[in-house]
Amino acid sequence: MQGERESMGDEHLTEASDPADEASTKSHHAVSVSVGAAAESRQRASGDAEDQDIVFDIEHLNVYYGDFLAVSDASLQIRENEITALIGPSGCGKTTVLRCLDRMNDLIESARVEGSIKYHGVDIYGDGVDPVEVRRHIGMVFQKPNPFPKSIYDNIAFGPRIAGFKGDMDGLVEESLRRAVLFDEVKDKLNDPANALSGGQQQRLCIARAIATNPDVVLMDEPCSALDPIATLRIEELMLELKQDYTIVIVTHNMQQAARVSDRTAFFTVDMSRGGQRTGVLVEYDDTGIIFTKPSQKATEDYITGRFG
Amino acid sequence: MTHRSNDDIRKHFEDLLDEVRRGAVELGSLVLENTRRASEALLENRLDLARAAKEADDEIDRKYVDLEQRVFEILARQQPVAGDLRFCVSITRVLYEIERSGDLAVNVARGLLRRDGYQMPPHIHGLMARACRGAAELFQASIDTLADLDATAAVRLDEADDEVDDVVGELYAVIGKASDQIGFDVAVELSRVGRYMERIADHAVNIAEHVTFIVTGAFPEERSPAVEDEG
Repeated sequence: MQGERESMGDEHLTEASDPADEASTKSHHAVSVSVGAAAESRQRASGDAEDQDIVFDIEHLNVYYGDFLAVSDASLQIRENEITALIGPSGCGKTTVLRCLDRMNDLIESARVEGSIKYHGVDIYGDGVDPVEVRRHIGMVFQKPNPFPKSIYDNIAFGPRIAGFKGDMDGLVEESLRRAVLFDEVKDKLNDPANALSGGQQQRLCIARAIATNPDVVLMDEPCSALDPIATLRIEELMLELKQDYTIVIVTHNMQQAARVSDRTAFFTVDMSRGGQRTGVLVEYDDTGIIFTKPSQKATEDYITGRFG
Repeated sequence: MTHRSNDDIRKHFEDLLDEVRRGAVELGSLVLENTRRASEALLENRLDLARAAKEADDEIDRKYVDLEQRVFEILARQQPVAGDLRFCVSITRVLYEIERSGDLAVNVARGLLRRDGYQMPPHIHGLMARACRGAAELFQASIDTLADLDATAAVRLDEADDEVDDVVGELYAVIGKASDQIGFDVAVELSRVGRYMERIADHAVNIAEHVTFIVTGAFPEERSPAVEDEG
């Protein structure tokens, strides 16, 4: 399955970048190649040196909304084929950090980022990097399932079509739905509207849609908070399967969820020491097993045991 | 609990944990009392005290089962993590160590009742009294350690345990030499009593080590009681 996907993926990656880049500026082209090349060199070298398995290297990240410092000096590394959970109370900056990873914060005009976020060694906030190209490698799943008002089939086919995919679309749709463990439930109604699915199914459809363009990373922003407990466990099980092929970063308010599924956990909190401003800071980042049995910071312990929050 | 902070966001939960800790201290006190009762029965040939020790164990067992059940319920319903999780897992081991110590005290009483008392020569009696006292002191210290959640006591208790081991070693030697005089069966039984006291002292050290783990997340010098337990 892995090999099959890789060849399929390579094909539509190549097809995706060529026509799109043709129409764009030269600098866009150059940067697209460098982000794409970084991802490809990773595939070749995967499992080699230790450095190779770092997907995101975040260093001294500051994020501002206008004058307001939302996240201060966060540094962490996100590893390949792992699930990294970002937890912390409201306003701690975890979602802001997540949205930096695919440059979603660009959509907010006043947002400004300092420090560096290297994706396979390439600074995604570097000069001339095209955020659209970044997002081609990094998929996103949101809190509320948000399928397009289209058929199940078209929801999956949408991204690959835009990216210029010209291969076997039926095969790609089926494969993506299978990977999201949804195919068997929808195979007889692929042309039905996606909105007719249950919440849990819609969220798995959104995951299928995110992986249809063969990303390297899937970001999830509280993907289960609108779902019932069984649908939640289904998504968690799916995440554990997907991490064989993808790197997953999840923001969750559900600490048990972070404890159940993630390999590493980053705990953020709100720092009020800057003149009453609520600034998000990274308190502790470690193996999830350690965070939930023997965290080194009292603030982490207070939060995960429910004494503070 | 292991720490208190901020407001009482989880007061109900903290109360549940605290009830278990206080229950464990109470259980320990009952076992300590019964150990002293059995020792006195042994040293003074008080069969009435031996019978009382035997009976007292029923309440100890009931309390033990009840406390363990409470911890299971906390695990199932509260999903504790970090220090709370360490407490819940380790306290069940502490409860076990306490309950086992109680059984050993009862073993002393039972042996005494089977024999209608022992006639111990003075030098054996003296060593036996020291072994009983040493074990009870250590057990008392371990329960204090639990009451105060004192992470530092384990090392001290471990040293005190060496002294109890030495006394019991001496006791074995003396009993061995006196076995013709007191009879082989009695020699074996008195040796076993010495062994029970030594074991109670070991359980006390284990309790203190579990407390260190609850508080710090590590055993003293990463030595796990489970590994060296049966020494």
